Amino acid sequence: MTDKRLRHGTIVAGLLVAIVVPLFLSDYYQYEASEIAVLAILVLSLVLITGFVGQISFCQYSFAAIGAFTVGSLVGGHHWSFWLALVVAVAFSAVVGILVGIPALRLSGLFLAILTVAVALFFDRFLLAPGTWDSFSGGLEPWKIGRPSFVGIGLEGPYAYYAFALAAFVVVAWLVWNLRIGKTGRVLRAIRGSEIAASMIGIDVTLWKLAAFGLSAGLAGLAGGLLAADVGAVSPPSFDFLHSVTIAALATVMGVESIGGAAVGAFALIGIPEILSHTPISPDYFQLIVGVALIVQLVFAPQGAIVKMTEDVKRLIGRSTTDDPPAVTKELAKV
Amino acid sequence: MLLASANFGLLPSYTVIGLVLGGTFALAAIGLVLIYRVSGVLHFGHGAVAMFSTFIAYTVAVEWGLPSILGLFAAIIFGAGLGYLIERFTIRPLRDRPALTKVVVTIGWLLVLQTLAGAIWKNTAYHRPVQLVSRSGFKVPLIHLIIGYDQLTTMIVAVALALGTAALLRYTTLGISMRAVADDPDSARLWGVNVDRVTAASWMVGSAMAAIAGVLITPLISFTTFALTLIVIDAFTAALIGRLQSLPLTVVGAVFLGLAQTYPRAFVSNAGSGEVATFLLVIVTLLVLFRPGTSRVRLA
Repeated sequence: MTDKRLRHGTIVAGLLVAIVVPLFLSDYYQYEASEIAVLAILVLSLVLITGFVGQISFCQYSFAAIGAFTVGSLVGGHHWSFWLALVVAVAFSAVVGILVGIPALRLSGLFLAILTVAVALFFDRFLLAPGTWDSFSGGLEPWKIGRPSFVGIGLEGPYAYYAFALAAFVVVAWLVWNLRIGKTGRVLRAIRGSEIAASMIGIDVTLWKLAAFGLSAGLAGLAGGLLAADVGAVSPPSFDFLHSVTIAALATVMGVESIGGAAVGAFALIGIPEILSHTPISPDYFQLIVGVALIVQLVFAPQGAIVKMTEDVKRLIGRSTTDDPPAVTKELAKV
Repeated sequence: MLLASANFGLLPSYTVIGLVLGGTFALAAIGLVLIYRVSGVLHFGHGAVAMFSTFIAYTVAVEWGLPSILGLFAAIIFGAGLGYLIERFTIRPLRDRPALTKVVVTIGWLLVLQTLAGAIWKNTAYHRPVQLVSRSGFKVPLIHLIIGYDQLTTMIVAVALALGTAALLRYTTLGISMRAVADDPDSARLWGVNVDRVTAASWMVGSAMAAIAGVLITPLISFTTFALTLIVIDAFTAALIGRLQSLPLTVVGAVFLGLAQTYPRAFVSNAGSGEVATFLLVIVTLLVLFRPGTSRVRLA
């Protein structure tokens, strides 16, 4: 009971900070805050596929690119309404996610990782390369799109867009949280635990895995579309393979299972380069730091820094958690 | 995608380029398979190791103006040393952990090496390739074809090293120990094989081969940090064709990939057309050769 109270308290406090603090920041930092909120959705999409289903993905930015370039080409090239374009973007990304999911069904672990790298490079080097499909990628000229307005309220101001992006993140986080605690979450984690055991108790592993891929890619596409409107322009280099690797690495460092970890991860994704830019170290070293953190972390705290930190804090305040039984056993007991 | 006027007269020279490219892929892939077989780790940072070592060669040979062969030696030594460091300090401590954990560590190395190289040598800047031998060549009679001495050298080195690796695995104590560890580390240990040392040796040899592949490939691709790091995916593709087991099949796969990447450029005027070949090959190979039952890592 107290654990639940503690969690609710943390969420309310976190939200209050997220709503109030940016009010007092400059336009520039409000803009960065909205980027954090959007990227948090992208990290969540990764949490969904890696943390819940146990499938690794190095092409999450490619899914985001589909969202971003769908919005970019439809709004920037064909003058569609942003909202309609966003719906198409999410649907399109989800479909591509399912398409990637089909070969992924036969693969696991390492081989799936290779497949997602190939997908990411296919996007980088071919699909988004100038000359291949310019009416989608914009060729050498980035798509320019303005900020939309939401039920009559303009989102041009940095705080307005931030508030909108934060709301979107909260809705998505709520959705993912429900997936996690509901039947869906138990099914997905049963699949993660053991596909054979899951299929033995009557779970249609194929269908659920495809659904998870579709949903994860759809969320990534949503993040991409929102990022497009946030930045105001879309160009291929912002969605390359190295971005996908960095975000996957960061999600691992932060603990791929937790929603709170996603928010903190997105904060780090923007915050650390920002801090670095105020020091003699260049923000370009951010990926180096993530890489080193990843290696060091895997050697010392395999379950993720955030998860480990929470456990350490709990132990400190005397609410020691006993070692959990293996995930599969727990999941099987519940389904 | 514009169809360029198909020029069949260019086919012989494209074949040569494809074979040379395939030869360098084969070197990288052999190193990858060696590391995978002995230590059970699919090394995503393999291309990054090749890249960093190649830029060491670039510094020695181009920036300092020393003979290119010294640059190559520096790259080989650096590559082997880096391979040792990665294995000794970040892979060996994870011995009893899931295979995926070790793979993610190699991803960490990819990020570290890529970022460091970008900071030292600048990502997008043009770099003069490390030219080991002269670009001039000889004419092949009857057909319209000039083969560069550098291309010839690359092919010879690739073939020699592939055969050399096969001989190492077959005839030397180290090679036989490597095969023993690959088959079953526990019984290898019982037979008195120093598993740690053999594993480290496989990482050193594999990484040194990546370094050679990197130096040889510089005249063929855009010589940037990122492009070189990504030859890991070409190496993966070739290695997958060999089911991550067979070295001869890996070489065949590498040559096939080299040709498959080169030929489209004769017909399609699009920078990325070669990538489609890689992508399709990866998917087809994964789906055809790796059935659900076998897709687990046996060596983990």
